[in-house]
Order: sequence, then structure tokens, then C-alpha cells
Amino acid sequence: MSDFTISRRGVLAGSALLLASTALPGILRAQEAKKGGRLIVAADSEPRNLNPAIVASNGVFFVASKVVEPLAEASFEGKDGLDPRLATSWEGSSDGLTVTFKLRENVTWHDGKPFTSADVAFSALQIWKPLQNLGRVVFKDLEAVDTPDEHTAVFRFAKPTPFQLIRNALPALTSVVPKHIFEKGEIADNPANTALIGTGPFKFAEHKPGEYYRLERNDKYWGEGEPHLDEIVYRVLPDRAAAAGALEAEEIHLAAFSAVPLADLERISKVPGIEVISKGYEALTYQLVVEINHRRKELADVKVRQAIAHAIDKDFVVKTIFLGYAKAATGPVPQNDPQFYTKDVPTYAFDVAKANALLDEAGYKRGSDGTRFALKLLPAPYFNETKQFGDYLRQALAEIGINAELVNNDAAGHQKAVYTDHTFDLAVAPPVFRGDPAISTTILVQSGIPDGVPFSNQGGYANADLDALIAKASETLDPEARIALYRDFQKKVAEDLPLINVAEWGFITVARNTVKNVSNNPRWAVSNWADTVLET
Amino acid sequence: MSFFRRFSRSPEAVIGASILGVLVVMALFAPLLFPRDPLSIAGPALLRPFQDWSLPLGTDRLGRDVLAGLFHGARTSLAVGLASAATAIIIGTIVGTLAGFAGGLTDEALMRITDAFQTVPGFLLALAFVSVIGPSLFVVVLAIALGTWTGPARIARAEVLSIRERDYVASARVIGMHPLEIAFREVLPNALPPVLALSSVIVAAAILTEAALSFLGLGDPNRVTWGGMIAEGRTVLRSAPFLSIIPGIALVLTVLGVYLAGEGAVETTAVRRGRS
Repeated sequence: MSDFTISRRGVLAGSALLLASTALPGILRAQEAKKGGRLIVAADSEPRNLNPAIVASNGVFFVASKVVEPLAEASFEGKDGLDPRLATSWEGSSDGLTVTFKLRENVTWHDGKPFTSADVAFSALQIWKPLQNLGRVVFKDLEAVDTPDEHTAVFRFAKPTPFQLIRNALPALTSVVPKHIFEKGEIADNPANTALIGTGPFKFAEHKPGEYYRLERNDKYWGEGEPHLDEIVYRVLPDRAAAAGALEAEEIHLAAFSAVPLADLERISKVPGIEVISKGYEALTYQLVVEINHRRKELADVKVRQAIAHAIDKDFVVKTIFLGYAKAATGPVPQNDPQFYTKDVPTYAFDVAKANALLDEAGYKRGSDGTRFALKLLPAPYFNETKQFGDYLRQALAEIGINAELVNNDAAGHQKAVYTDHTFDLAVAPPVFRGDPAISTTILVQSGIPDGVPFSNQGGYANADLDALIAKASETLDPEARIALYRDFQKKVAEDLPLINVAEWGFITVARNTVKNVSNNPRWAVSNWADTVLET
Repeated sequence: MSFFRRFSRSPEAVIGASILGVLVVMALFAPLLFPRDPLSIAGPALLRPFQDWSLPLGTDRLGRDVLAGLFHGARTSLAVGLASAATAIIIGTIVGTLAGFAGGLTDEALMRITDAFQTVPGFLLALAFVSVIGPSLFVVVLAIALGTWTGPARIARAEVLSIRERDYVASARVIGMHPLEIAFREVLPNALPPVLALSSVIVAAAILTEAALSFLGLGDPNRVTWGGMIAEGRTVLRSAPFLSIIPGIALVLTVLGVYLAGEGAVETTAVRRGRS
């Protein structure tokens, strides 16, 4: 009988032991990153072509970068801001004619075939150069890729090409796809453009249109112990208000690319278990730009363009439209770029009186109804902020006597109106700065670009000085000299205003705090997420 | 009893008429009370209602006066509602009268066209029309009329079918009036009252359709519309719900007012007709 007396001490000791037994594995597990789990993230679009080697855009990378890897990824600490991926080292020759890549060994494609230099050569010559939206510019002089052995690829250029440019282009432009899959038939019709096959930490599992994408763990990934997650599911939530609700309801773990509207961030940051992160977009800076059609005789006058620049209150744009999640721009290179940015450019302070004086000087006096002339203004429909800035710009122009009529189009209609038909006077555009002005920035100013190329100079602007400067920079090999030329470029653009740079912004990630290693590189949302961990 | 006394006896009709009256006053006086462009930035952004008496209903995300938007929005809503209803009724009665009076092949052809329009949901038709031609107030009015003219057309035809057999139509034929003249001078005016009874429903539907189009970003972006205001407010629904609620209430009241007043008018006339 006495054996079974239940003493208070006995109960306490027993329950303590029980408690410890459940806590113990937890303590042990915390020592190393926990494996497994399904990460659910919000996706707001379903690109028709998901092949990042052909369509180098963030909407595609967001899903595809986990499956198909580039030669190198952007990094906060790495040398030249890069971290090796499929290439382990890269070196440019002093004459600018060759770049040699050493490739990673023991890497296999998701279908089991080995990854070799032949895949890199095929991707570069058959896809990046002829087909890719950005590669067409950067790799235009690429002549051949030599493959002396299975793990060396030597890029040969017809004309000297700055190694700095190639290096800066590695993260976004060099997604490698398997030769043995794409060499059969038309590249554009290949099923692997949607059912991706790559070398990345995750394999493409399925896509249910309108519902989700599912990626599953690649057990044979070359990164040791990686990836940590079992699965990534992209839930398609085109409605921006839905992402915030889904995060709060714990239906999704993460919403990138400002899927949660800026106006909601303050509220959601106070919800326990949810974090608002503005890091991780440093190499994907978006720029808010007013595109100008120089075919309009009023806008061809630099004084009118300067007046418009003076009429825009950048501070208001940053504080009210972007709620502080942006910076006022000074020129065509964003301030967070570590290599090329210069603040030594002409600036246009918010000054309505001066803007009015400039317009009077240019000979456009106010008529009896107070307006000087009328314009058509086409805000890009891609972001809430570009549309709101369109509303604001209309008011800002009204203050200086320019009557702007807003014309709203859907995405396809906007692209056609601005970049093919040129039926605009002013347009609001969100181009991206991708780490080097030669990738997607000089094209906004350069003349002689065929009609229909999106995010390029379609405003009929032609400035021989700037064209010469851009041409010279594209063949200048010395990095310092090249940087000096691009600083000059920024100055000249700010002076002559072929377009008006208003603000620059990175996106915001909102994640549940169980997701670890978020935003640990400057292109995080479009990097491979091999080290992402989900705590349970 | 006069029409007005009978009308004023029905409480619904009075409520409807007073709402409509307020709305018309708002629309008429909007440019006097708020002479500035209602889309201009009037103060700090996202000011809540009843905080600052110079901006009594607060401001939206860009600092635009919500009250000014409400007044100017009333103009757009009423203008679109009335213009589309008028267009729909004019098209509808003309088509209906022609079909009913001419009969035969013309009737068949016109009625099959009416059927074709009636099988497509009016809102989808408007949506397609506006997104192809591009949003402006005129296009929106036309787009809404395009989906609503079929109702008046059918009713007008039915009326005409019975009227054309009456004696005075036969006598008009005998004295040698041109058929078109008979159709539009003798028949149409008598076929009109039941068609007009439909107008309140059409106006209410048109106001809602316009709001829905603006909500989807297919309204005229250079004008304030209630639908556009609701859409603007949607992005901040959780933190500033008043931006969607205020124009939403205005919309509900307007549609209710139009409907009640229309209903009241129809009942009153019906009673009168019944007695006479």
C-alpha cells in the first residue's frame, strides 16, 4: 500500500521529468537548422513562360530561381558582391575578349544527367544571346563559348566587352538550362519552358493554373545539407488585400514583392508572429520614372521638361504614395548602388514658382482658362504606386497650368500604347536598375531602338552626345574609367532630362517569424532559398 | 386627387423623392461648394472624418477631400444614370415600335437582335465594350445603354402590337398617313408610359454598373466617381475603412432613392389609370 502513496513531491518530480522529456529534443534540434516543412508563399502572377533563361524578369525568377540556377548570385559579403553558384570562379582577360568560368563539379540535372560546360555554352549561345530580353544587349558581341573540358567554359567576344559588366550581369542573366532537353525542336515550344528542369535546390513538381505552383526538395542538390525545406508552394493570390489576410490566418508564411499593400504594413507589423522586412531587394531597385514623348513640340523643349521636374514634390511622393518606403531619386542610377552612383548631378527642387517662370520663358503662356497646353498622361498599371503617382502628377501639372488627361490601360494595352504606338505625351514607368547601367538603364536614353521594345527609349529622344557616351562606356574595359563615364552619363541625363527620375524603391517582404534566413542576400526573393528554414 | 397628393401619401415614395432631391441638389451645387478640382490634393493624406472641419469627411490616400469627391461623384453618377437610361429607352422604344408596327420580317430580325443582346449579361457587355474602346464618360454611357435597351424594346413592341389594332390607327391609315408617321406620332406616344415605368429600374442599374466599372478601373480616370472612390479605398480597407464605406453608403442611398421614387410614381399613375 505504502508503495503507491502519492506524495506531492513525487507528482512534481514525475511531471517535471515528463516536461523535460518533451523539451529535450527541442533543445537538441535547435543546435542545427531543422529539416523539412512546407513553405507556403503568396504569388501574384502566373507567367506564361517560366524559363528564366529566356524571360529574365522578377515575376519569373520568383518561382524559377529555386529550380534553375545562375552562374553566380548576388551577395552582401562576397567579393564584387557575388556568391558562386554553378560557376566557382570567373576571370576576364585584359583585352576584354574572353571570360573564363570554372564550373562546379558533381552537379546533376533534376533528370539525373550530369551538368557540364556544354550546357553553359548552349544556354549562352542559343538562349541568352538570341532570345533573352536582357541578354540580347549584354551578350550581343558573344561569338563563341569554348569548352576545353567538362568544367571550364571560355566566353569569346567579337568586341572588347567590359568584364565588370559581365560580372554584374551574372545573377540575373545567366540562368543555365540543360542542353539535352532544349536542343530538340524549337526552344520556344519546349515543354521545359513551363515544367522547368534545372540544377537548383528544388524540383518543379506541378502547376495548377489559378491555384498554385508546387516545388519539391531536390535530394541530390550540390549544396551540403541543403535545401532545408521539403516543399515550397506558391499560392496564387492576385488580390493584394488577400495576402495580408492569408498571412494573419497563417494560411501562408510569406508574401514578397510588397504583396501586402504599403498602407497595411503599419497595422500588420503589430500583429504578433509577423515580421515586416525591407531588406533583400537591394539589387532589384525599381525606379519611378516619368517617360517623355519628345515628339511633342512642347516637351522637346528642355525648359518645359525642367519645369515639370520642378513641379514634382518628390518628398510628397516618398512620404504619401510610398509611405516612406522609398527614396527621392536624383538621376538614372539609384543611390543604393555601390559602384556607379554619383550625387554630383543637377537637381530640381520642388518649386512651383520657378516651374511657372520656366514655362513662361519657354513661350507657353497661360491661356484665359489658366492652362498652357494639354497632355495625355499614361500611368503604368503594374503597381498601385505607379497609378497613384499618375493621379498625383496630374494635380502637380495642373498647378503649373498643364492640363493632363489620364488614360488608363491594362498591362498589354499600356505596353502597346507607349512602346509600340507612341500614343502618349507623358507616361509613368517603373524600370528596374540591375546592378549595371548597361543592363537595363542606358536603353532608356539611347536612340535608335526599334519600336516595340518595352522599357526602352520610345519617346523619340536623340542626343548624339549621350549616344556617344553610352557607346564608349560599353567598350571601356578599365572599371574605373567605365565608372567615370557612367557618372558623366548620370550628370548629362539629369541636365537634359530625357526622362525624369522621381523616386526609387525596393519591395517589402512580410513573413511569419517562423521562417528563418529571410532576406540574407540582395536578391533574396528571386534567389534559390536553399538555406531557408521553416520552424515549427 | 392630384398626382402629387396621392404621391405624397405613400411614405416610400416620399423618402425616395427626398433622397433624390438631396442628390440633385448635391450634384447641382457641387461646383459652387467645391470649386476646386475634386481630385486636387487638399490636405494631409488619410485624415479621418470629423477631425478637421475644413475637411469634414477626411481625406484619401493622396489627401483628396472625400466630401468634395462625394458631391462631384453625385454629378457623375446621376449624369451617367440618366444619360444611359435615356439612351437605352430611346433606342429601345424605336426598335420596339418599328418591330411591333412593321411586323413580318422586320419584326423577326429586330427581335432576334434583341434576343442576342439579351442573352449576353449587360455588365459583361459593358466591360468588353469599355475595355476595347477605352474609358471615357461618353463610352461608359453608351456601354451601359448597350446592355439595357432590350427591356424597353420588348415592352414597347408588346404595347405597339396591341395599339396598332385600335380604331384610331386604322383611321390614320385610311386618311393616308405615312406608316412611319403613324408609328411615331400615333402609336409611340401611347406605348410610352409602361416603358417609362421601367426607367427607374434602368437608372438604378446604370448607376450600379457605372460604379462597378469604375471599381474595376474602367471608369473615366479624370472624374471622381463613387465606384472609383470605393476601389481607391479598398487597398486601405483595414486601416481606413471610411474611404470605402462613405461612397458605398452614398451609392446604396442613391439606388434606393431612385428605386423608391420610381416605384411610387408608377403606383400613383397606376391608381389614377385604374380609376379613370
